[in-house]
Amino acid sequence: MTRHYLAGELSQLLGELAAAAAGDRDADEVVWLRRQAETVGPGRLAPVARRALGVADRLCWESLSRGDVRAFDLRAAVSARLWAFGVAAGLLGEG
Amino acid sequence: MAVEEVEVSEAEIAVHWREEEYYYPSPRFIGQANASDPSILERFSEERFPECFREYADLLHWDAYWHTTLDTSNPPFWKWFVGGRLNASYNCVDRHLQRDPNKAALIWVPEPEEVDPIPVTYRDLWVWVNEFAALLRDFCGLQAGDRVTFHLPMVPELPVAMLACARLGVIHSEVFGGFSGAACGDRIADSGSRVLVTMDAYYRNGELLDHKVKADEAVARAEELGQRVDKVLVWRRHRGEYASKAPMQRGRDFFVDDLLPRYRGARVDPVPMPAEAPLFLMYTSGTTGRPKGAQHSTGGYLAYVAGTSKYYLDIHPEDTYWCMADIGWITGHSYIVYGPLALGTTSVIYEGVPTYPDAGRPWRIAERLGVTIFHTAPTSIRMLRKAGPDEPKKYNYRFKHLTTVGEPIEPDVWRWYYDVVGKGEAVIDDTWWMTETGGFLGATLPALQPMKPGSCGPGVLGVYPVIYDEEGREIKAGSGKAGNICIRNPWPGIMQTIWGQPERFVQIYYQKYCRNKDSTDWRDWPFLCGDAAVQAADGYFRILGRIDDVINVAGHRLGTKELESAALTVDEVAEAAAVPVIDEVRGRAVEMYVSLKPGVSPGPEVEERVAKALETEIGKIARPKNIWVVPDMPKTRSGKIMRRVIAAISNFADVGDITTLANPEVVDQIRRQVQSEKVKRGEVPRELTPSELEELQAFGQVS
Repeated sequence: MTRHYLAGELSQLLGELAAAAAGDRDADEVVWLRRQAETVGPGRLAPVARRALGVADRLCWESLSRGDVRAFDLRAAVSARLWAFGVAAGLLGEG
Repeated sequence: MAVEEVEVSEAEIAVHWREEEYYYPSPRFIGQANASDPSILERFSEERFPECFREYADLLHWDAYWHTTLDTSNPPFWKWFVGGRLNASYNCVDRHLQRDPNKAALIWVPEPEEVDPIPVTYRDLWVWVNEFAALLRDFCGLQAGDRVTFHLPMVPELPVAMLACARLGVIHSEVFGGFSGAACGDRIADSGSRVLVTMDAYYRNGELLDHKVKADEAVARAEELGQRVDKVLVWRRHRGEYASKAPMQRGRDFFVDDLLPRYRGARVDPVPMPAEAPLFLMYTSGTTGRPKGAQHSTGGYLAYVAGTSKYYLDIHPEDTYWCMADIGWITGHSYIVYGPLALGTTSVIYEGVPTYPDAGRPWRIAERLGVTIFHTAPTSIRMLRKAGPDEPKKYNYRFKHLTTVGEPIEPDVWRWYYDVVGKGEAVIDDTWWMTETGGFLGATLPALQPMKPGSCGPGVLGVYPVIYDEEGREIKAGSGKAGNICIRNPWPGIMQTIWGQPERFVQIYYQKYCRNKDSTDWRDWPFLCGDAAVQAADGYFRILGRIDDVINVAGHRLGTKELESAALTVDEVAEAAAVPVIDEVRGRAVEMYVSLKPGVSPGPEVEERVAKALETEIGKIARPKNIWVVPDMPKTRSGKIMRRVIAAISNFADVGDITTLANPEVVDQIRRQVQSEKVKRGEVPRELTPSELEELQAFGQVS
């Protein structure tokens, strides 16, 4: 199957998350996850997506905790896109 | 009450899948289809192989006709249409000029909806391709056989760059625009490109994203790997306005829109290339080691995508055809650019995401442009369905044909695509194939073979699939048993090799089922597709997913990828590798090796979390016999984990040749750690049989 585009889309979303996470202590993990998405292969993307969603969640809470509305909006938007894509691609459960 | 554990075999799972009913094309569709005469099936029957593929090759213009349709003298490096010469750019552009100079070859739809779609006529395309080819030749000094890497988003400059390279016989290698600079750099280095073509920025979800910044990362990464990039050609998304924050590097980076005026009016003769000359490389993702560049030929590939576009996508020159994939993947190369343009149709290119600004966007584009054929992936269909299940009903478009590609589509999603997107009128083609195969392998001929939700259909014209079990025995249609789907014969679209790694090509795709490595008879060389499948009694295939190394624990086949994926859900784990150990009770048991992220200390808590993750994600049967937290994994210089080495350690077997490892010292470290602990626990296995040793030595060779 030509499922490589799933890796591409996940990498793209992690790139957007990396930009939204710039300066945060989780930023390195996002970069690492992106590398994982680009190298582990379509069959192993699910844990990368799950972990990415966890990091995105942490990033949202982190921006809320310091009252940074702009950062929160940005991170929440990427997080929502990540979730929607992950569910549609069968990488994440809906729950 | 105790829950009874029911063991269900792979075969039984397949048997219990409900057979779906057939859907038939309308008489109206059949009446206009390119393949509506059943005699085509006879023309492509096995007795007429390989000459049947002349029919595809005859769709092209040849500068010199071939003398040998298929040369099998050096298997499995098949050569198609030997002696023939042609130019892909000429076939996709020049030859349509006389009849249709003002017809749109491409219609580019920018993501911002307030911007009108931009048509590129065949004449515009010809001018643009010639001028860019002149730039590549004269400014960059490129010639036939050189490689060029593109890192371009979904803009018309991408097919222009591809066709300009093809005009010169230069091999192009497009890296998906959404990938990081590092991924691009890996591919630049592997292909040996000294020119990178990129863009400053592109739109996605309403934002203009900085893209040039990734070019700098890519060049740095390639240099780390020993490949110097001399020139970076940067298209500007908005002509004359630079949208990136990354500075241009003097002497290395050049704006294409500054350079192109020098080549205004330039005309470059298309180079007649040998049919077997490489046209492009398409790298697959999914390897921690050296990237895997599928090398596709000029003649065989172009003939195959033209033929399958004609008969399976049912493209006519008067169609407006939209494949919503990205050109950065094989689907885009074959079925946005080369196939449709070889047939002289109009191909739509959309820059952005399908759900921007809302889930009605694709249907508004289809309505506005009069799209007749729509082609997309199940993931996109699921997203559009979720975001706007009733959106298609609001728009007055009319598709005659819908295609899906990339992964199996569930019957439920298939029916939404058929009923709502296709309005109950359009034929659906569920296609199965992969990067390595160039074009479709399994699909229905839309006017001749009924559709069945969830099944891709039979093998396509001239392609004869077969399902084998692990021992190479054929699994018959209708048996309900799943196995490894292979193609018994070569076909013109098949990749020629993995760029620079011919041994790996043979090992991955042919070694498993080759009957006689000295044979020059193609029948002895089935191609292993890497997917598991089941074939119904009617000959239709249902694709189940990628095959992988499997560890058989008490009759349960556990995929190493699934096991390792589960281990990687534990936050502390950086890398994981699952290997089999011989177990007197269960046959085989799983041992899991993990390395931890920097700063994380090993301990029983981490091991327990890994064990729990395996139980939760897969089931109790997946609980490993041992979890070994090791300082590092034994790896090749290209970063691939050597599973056979750790499997040997776990089984007290000879680790074999480790001189090619990047970190051979770690092998002794792991051996001391694991084997001393096993001795303490009384887990030293008996002496292994030759077949067990062979199994361990072959372990980890699948990908």
